[in-house]
Amino acid sequence: MKKKNLSLEEIFLEDERFRISYYFSLEKLILSLKRVGLLSRPLVAFRDKHFILVSGWKRVLACLQLPLYPLPVFVIEEDDELKTFLIAFYENLATREFSLLEKAEILSRLKKFGEDEKKIVRHYMPLINIPPTLSHFESFLAFSKFESEVKKIIHEKNMPFSSAKLLAEFTPQERRLLLPLLLPSGQNKMKEILEDLKEISKKDDIPAGKILSSREIMEIMTFERLSSLQKADKIRLLLKRKRFPTLSSWKESFDSLLKKINLPKNIIVKPSPFFEEENFSVNFSFGDKKEFKTNLLKLQELATKEEFSRIFKFRHCRNDIKSHNFGKNPELKDIG
Amino acid sequence: MSKSEYFPEKVYVEKRSFDFPLTKRILKNIGQIPVEVINDPRELLENIKTSRDVIGEGKKYLLVTCQRGEFVKPCPCTPRYIGCNYFIINLDLNCPLDCTYCILQYYLTNPLITVHVNLEDLWRQLDVFLYSKRHRILRIGTGELGDSLALDHITENSISLISYFREKKDVIFELKTKTVNIKNILKMEPAQNIVIAWSLNSSRIAQEEEKGAPSVAERIDAARKVSDRGFLVGFHFDPIIRHSYWEEGYGEVIKRLLETIDPSRIAWMSLGSFRFPPLLKAVIEERYPKTKIIYDEFIKGKDGKLRYFKPLRLELYRKIISFIRNWGGEKIPLYFCMESEDIWAKTIGWVPRGKDNLEAYLSSPLGQSKI
Repeated sequence: MKKKNLSLEEIFLEDERFRISYYFSLEKLILSLKRVGLLSRPLVAFRDKHFILVSGWKRVLACLQLPLYPLPVFVIEEDDELKTFLIAFYENLATREFSLLEKAEILSRLKKFGEDEKKIVRHYMPLINIPPTLSHFESFLAFSKFESEVKKIIHEKNMPFSSAKLLAEFTPQERRLLLPLLLPSGQNKMKEILEDLKEISKKDDIPAGKILSSREIMEIMTFERLSSLQKADKIRLLLKRKRFPTLSSWKESFDSLLKKINLPKNIIVKPSPFFEEENFSVNFSFGDKKEFKTNLLKLQELATKEEFSRIFKFRHCRNDIKSHNFGKNPELKDIG
Repeated sequence: MSKSEYFPEKVYVEKRSFDFPLTKRILKNIGQIPVEVINDPRELLENIKTSRDVIGEGKKYLLVTCQRGEFVKPCPCTPRYIGCNYFIINLDLNCPLDCTYCILQYYLTNPLITVHVNLEDLWRQLDVFLYSKRHRILRIGTGELGDSLALDHITENSISLISYFREKKDVIFELKTKTVNIKNILKMEPAQNIVIAWSLNSSRIAQEEEKGAPSVAERIDAARKVSDRGFLVGFHFDPIIRHSYWEEGYGEVIKRLLETIDPSRIAWMSLGSFRFPPLLKAVIEERYPKTKIIYDEFIKGKDGKLRYFKPLRLELYRKIISFIRNWGGEKIPLYFCMESEDIWAKTIGWVPRGKDNLEAYLSSPLGQSKI
């Protein structure tokens, strides 16, 4: 490698063949450059009569903004694309953790530059903390092909592998339709939306795009008085009901029964998780003896109410609560 | 893979396992299939682990090795549901059949079809184990980490096992299979404490989700032959899977079964609805992208496994039990695999008072003169 000083114009930044990092903030780096200058030289290579950047995109883009010139660089004297890329890879490997999307770009570049697939899986993937399986390799390759607006959300939301993998199961059009639901949601809700949508689509043989363009979803999406978070939440719950129709109807019946009983706000009656066990729990808070006694009296009063004994039908799994059967979910009729 | 008999593409014999009599028998029975003697299977495993379908790839190869640990273990069952006090013998690991729902896809780290050949160690361990449990009736079988008969044309283990257990009068030994690999069984004299059992499902599930397994009709026919030979037979409806027309599907199989097999020759039937650890779901999605069985209404049960929402389980069990009870099987001992007390109470109508009580109920083959 040779040391050289280049003017910024001498680097052909449009050639991104070695670039693996796209989404970063330059703010802190600019501050650092202003205070102490460029301490670590970016790596460049000479290709097609140009110098092109191999490693140090963040540094060079920050220098461009300042502007800081001439730019001290190392010139990699290597024509082989794979070997050149590996220099940048190992330089970065030693100094930082890669993000999900950077890992995807690394694997896709290794493949593009002709590295043997088995070697990528067995050697490189463990180096960047990815389980060495072909299935993981293929998932990461799929991430590298995501549309840029999808990649941006993955980066901004710090999306975990499991959610990105779910995203990879949709078509580019479906992903575009999903973006307004994912943007306002947190990681868990995002995963719920993706998982339920995928599973409804698989279970009912309806393309996800068709579900997302259904009348009921479009109505929520175009309802002006709702914020984007409220819309995403409503759609998430709608999908949950479609994915778990029997469980949802049980929950709804239970909640509506509790409403009828008109419990005081500080007394909470709950079934066991998913109604799996036979018991219910009562929870109340109190600040002193008097409050405690009042709650007990209210509970005693509750026990005598006819409506209250109806919660026990949730214990006996009575046949009058019908399970949803197979075939297309009736609620999906308008889109099925 | 042939529907009737499995043969691997290649057999790997661990050097230290080469001189065992069972190894010789296996090598004789596999005919012209290539054999390689290896020092250590780890490199082979590493190679397989980079395959697109590690589990599918592993099924192509037979590894002949020695069991270094214990052969006999209590059936792991599941926490917070009623267990049945069963013991398992880990003789073969993995299964050449390729059922969508198979727990082994998640459970075993070694994807190779593996046969343990140190049978002398097995007999020794069994002698000690059975002596330690001599005051009780014991149920034990081999079909937990592999199909009991899928490799029997290669290993002939059924002959050795039946010969060993027929003398153990307080032990009920069960071979559990989905295959029709009964040639060796039919050569054997029956014994009162030996049960040959089949896993059954609706024909649609068998056809779509039990790749490589014989049809349900073939399994029932094999059970008839074994029963006619004088053995007691058992049936496991496990996993019961909801699908369109499941009532008709399971009804047809139960009808055919009870019309074909004399119910008094049936030692027991077990029922278990589809349940799986959450991590198995990803494996199934990866290996069987077209299956729908994992997209029903599963909830996280008390043991952390995904199982059908309880009203759906009850609906399945009530219907299937009514088929069995109404179509000639009113006296067949029925039990659940990994279910809660209230499911027992609401469907079978009684709840075992602990494992021993259930064991006594299922030990009826020893108490009744069915031979």
